[in-house]
Order: sequence, then C-alpha cells, then structure tokens
Amino acid sequence: MPDLLALVVQQSVNGVYLGCLYVMVALGLTLIYGVLNQINFAHADFVTVGAFTAFFVATRFATRMLGLPDTGGYLLSLIAALGAGAVLGILVNAAVFAPLRRQGADELRPLIATIGVSVLLENGQLALFGPIPYQFDSPFARETIRLGPIFFSAQSVLVVAVSVASITALYVFMRFTFLGKALRAVAQDRETAGLMGINPNLVIALTIVIASALAGMGGALLGPVVVLTPFTGASLIVKAFAIVIIGGFGNMQGTIIAGLMVGVIEAFTVQYLGSGLIDLVVFALLLTMLVVRPTGLIAERKEENV
Amino acid sequence: MTGRHAAIAVAILAIAAAPWILATPYWRGILVLCAMNVLLALSLNLVMGYTGQLNLGQSAFFAIGAYVSTILIKSHGWNFWLAGLVAVLAAGVLGLALAAFAARLRGHYLAIASLGFAVITYQVLLNWEDVTQGVRGIYGILPPVPGTTGLFYLVAGIAAAVYLLLDNLVRSPVGDTLRAIREDEVSAASLGINRAAWKAFAFGLGAAIAGLAGIFYPGFVGTLVPDAFGIVESFTMMAMVIVGGMGTMIGPVIGAIVLTFLPEVLRGFGELRLLIYGLALTLVVLFMPGGIVQAWTALRARMRR
Repeated sequence: MPDLLALVVQQSVNGVYLGCLYVMVALGLTLIYGVLNQINFAHADFVTVGAFTAFFVATRFATRMLGLPDTGGYLLSLIAALGAGAVLGILVNAAVFAPLRRQGADELRPLIATIGVSVLLENGQLALFGPIPYQFDSPFARETIRLGPIFFSAQSVLVVAVSVASITALYVFMRFTFLGKALRAVAQDRETAGLMGINPNLVIALTIVIASALAGMGGALLGPVVVLTPFTGASLIVKAFAIVIIGGFGNMQGTIIAGLMVGVIEAFTVQYLGSGLIDLVVFALLLTMLVVRPTGLIAERKEENV
Repeated sequence: MTGRHAAIAVAILAIAAAPWILATPYWRGILVLCAMNVLLALSLNLVMGYTGQLNLGQSAFFAIGAYVSTILIKSHGWNFWLAGLVAVLAAGVLGLALAAFAARLRGHYLAIASLGFAVITYQVLLNWEDVTQGVRGIYGILPPVPGTTGLFYLVAGIAAAVYLLLDNLVRSPVGDTLRAIREDEVSAASLGINRAAWKAFAFGLGAAIAGLAGIFYPGFVGTLVPDAFGIVESFTMMAMVIVGGMGTMIGPVIGAIVLTFLPEVLRGFGELRLLIYGLALTLVVLFMPGGIVQAWTALRARMRR
C-alpha cells in the first residue's frame, strides 16, 4: 500500500475510534435535550467521575481486593463507571432538573445551575485527587494489533465494540420497548403523553439516568487513552457541544454521524496541523455550522431557538 | 434624588476608606481584584441581566483587553492610555462580532456559540506564539500607576464611573428597549425595535467594559498567560452576577464583592475558591433566583410587616 493511502487509512481508523468515544458522551447530551429541551452542562464531568471510578475499581478494588486478572478488573470497572454515572444522573435530576421543572423555570436556569454543578464537580475532584495526571493502564491498551501497515490497540477495538453495543442497545430500547416508546412520546409532546397515562417525570428521570450512565462508561473507556485529571471532562464538553449542534440538537442519528466526523477531523488535524489546533478547528466548524445551518446536519423539527 | 446622592457619597467614602481599613499589601491586592471583578460583573450584567442574552464568552473580551493593551505597550512602545483605548475598542469590536451570532441565535444556541467564542479566543492566545508568547507568557508588565493603593483608586474610580453610566443608561428609554428584548423578542420586534442593532449595542458595550477591566489586569499581576482567561472565568463572572442579583444594578456589584472576599475570609478554603463559586451558583439558582438583592428585599418586606 502506498504511504499516503496507509496514512489516510490509519488516521481514519484513529478518527473513528475517537469518534466512538465522543458519540458515547454526546449521545447523552442529545438524549436529554430531545426529551427535556435542557442542557446538562455537567454531563462531561460525569465522564470524569466515571473515569476516576473506573481507575480506582480497576487498579485498587478489583485486582488487589478481589484478585481478578487485569482484563477482568478493567471490564468490571466499566460496569462500575456505568453505575457511577447512573447515580450522578439520579442526583442531578433530583437536585436540579426536577425542582426547577416544578418551579416552571425558564430554559436557561437549569443550564446555569448545571454550570455550577460542573464547576463544583471539577474542583471537588481537584481537591480529592489533585492536579497531577493519573496513569490509568488498561490491559487492552498494551496490546497492539497490526493489519498490514495499519496499527491499532486492542483498547480501540474494545472502545468501538462497547460503543456500537451501547448504541445498538439504546436503539433497540427506544424502538421496541414500551418504555422506549413512552420516552419518544414525551420527547414529542410532554403534555399529550401525560394525558395518555405516561408519567413524564419518570420518563425524564429515566432519560437522564441512561444518558449519565453512558457518560460514566464513556469515562471508563476514555480514562486509559487520555491524560486523566479532574479536568478531562471539561476539555471534552466543548467538543461534545460542537458535535451535538453539528448533528442537530436532539437528533440521535445526527449526533452519531457528527461524532464520527469530528473524530476523523481531529485525527487529520493532529496529522497535518498539530494537536494544539484541534479545538480551534472543531469550534470554527461549529460556528460556521451555526451560521450556515443552525438546525444541524439533520433537522428534526421546528426549532424555536434559532 | 437625595437618596441617590447619599448613596453616591457613601460609595465614594467606602472606596476612599477601603485601602486604609484593609491596610496590608495582601488585602489591598484583593481590593484591586475586587474592583476589577465589579467591572466584569457590570459588563456581563448588561448583556445577561438587562438584555437577556446568556453569554458564556465574556472571558474572551477580558482577555482581548489584557492582551491587546500589553502587546501594544511591550512590543510597540505605546503609552498605557493610548494602548488601553485601542484595546477597549478592540474588545468592543469583537463584541460586535459575537453579536452577529446573537442576532440569529437564542437561548441554548447562543450560550454554546458564545462558549465557542471564548474557547477559540483562548486557543488563539495559546497557539499564536509569535504575538502572545503562548504558554510562556509575557513578563515584567508594569501597572499604569505605582503602588497597589493607587491602582485600586484608579480601577475603583473607573468602576464607579461605569456604574453611574450604566445606571443612567438602564433608566433611560434605551434600558426599556433592552428589557423589552429580554422579556419577549418577538413582541419587541413588533413594536419596531431593531433587535439585531440593540443586541449589537449591548454586546459591544458589554465587551468594551470587560476589555476595560482587562487593561488593568496585566499590570496588577505583572505577568500575562492564556490560562488566566479560560472559560471558567466566564463562569465566575456569571456567578457574581447571579449571586448578587441579575438584572439589577447593585446586585452584580454586591455579588462581585461577596464572591471576591468570601473565599479569602474562609481561610484554608483559599484553594477551593472555585468550589465555593460552583456551590454558590447552583444553590442561588435553585433557591434564590433573584440573588442577594431579592433575598434582601424579601427580608425587608417581612421586617416591615
């Protein structure tokens, strides 16, 4: 294979793998927006909490206390991070979203409140874990797989497999189960869904929990491949927002396409422009998108915000 | 009007006395910081409180004021005041650029676009090393006047002047226009209000005031690094506005003072400044959406009964 082609394939592979991580994070944001018309600004900090939970479960609890092998420990930590995310989802719904909905607050108050939660979570973790990056070794990140001139780690295969499985599970849930149908009904029209005997509060809580659990598990997948500090999620949130807007707020297919797109763009930016310019490129794309096509790649429904 | 004159007199006395009550160099430094925070909170309040536009990009204008003035002084040998004037204008022009987005976007979309604006500004400061020195930073920056007390009087005096200017502005028909846009953009437009032009006015003026705070920051700290202008700075300004009372004139001033001094008073929590900001922001939004001003009004009403 010629060098240039190999390079393009290699960077595309890296991009898809990064993109899968982004989709795991952005999907939760878009899910909450679709059902609730709200932004959880602390969403990406749930990713950080998930990553730290996974780190401590994998390196302390599972391997040392339970005596599991490395791989088993890491897989267990994925579940733990999922659980941590779900718990955070329950908390943020009970403390912020549900009370503000009862008060009939305008759309921006929950956003501002969750900005506070985000700052709180980041600096709380900073106080607990300190600013020095953690070295989170996944046993899968050590294994390198070689296909001709293309290299990738077993971790990236795991990331893609887990993301695809989660997205499929989410799709099946939304499409074929009663609760999934209820969720879509509430997203379409909360009042009418309530009249049909669906408890919107329950469905909204469920949505936030699913979204947050995805973010937590995303953290466990992300932890070993990034620099793990209390601000890991914060550096991600801007990209997650960009993806959600590029894909069309509240639109799941759009978010998946945009997530993969941003991953690939990032991989090529690193290759040709340098890693310092990633956020610049992604955000220039976001602002262009907002000017040219504010409804995103796939416009789902009439938008009141633009 | 006597109440207003009395309030002005009290404010002037408080500013004059502050560096002599808090007479150590450390506390005088905090006072300078406080005066800068008041300016920043006032600037954001014009956009967020009076015009109703959730702007998460205010840190960008603070940064432009700081960097443009410092670069003109250090690299081109300009005089502080001339450089400061150009920096304030530059921040204002950039505010107009953000307003171009605000003319088309509302609510969540504007919040994220303005966040993107702050991120891009931060990244440019970080990566455009030929001009900004990137992470290495710019060192040895002198304040415009010698001595912390002098700097405090200067910044506090400017903050007081800006307060009076904005106070008159929001009580004029211009203030009514901005509030009309905040309450209902469509109705405002139906009354013949040019939404885009007035939003541009609020964003431009707000950005210029944030830039004005920015020109004093480098001289106060002595160094200039991009990390001083991360997006979290936008959130701290927002916390000041909301904790004090968004959409009132005195609220953001109180918020800036309280949130500057609270972490200092709670010694030992000094490192946890942002933790306190985050907690205060969430709690106030949940339980006291009108901030300290609202709580005070409610308390007074109860006392009268």
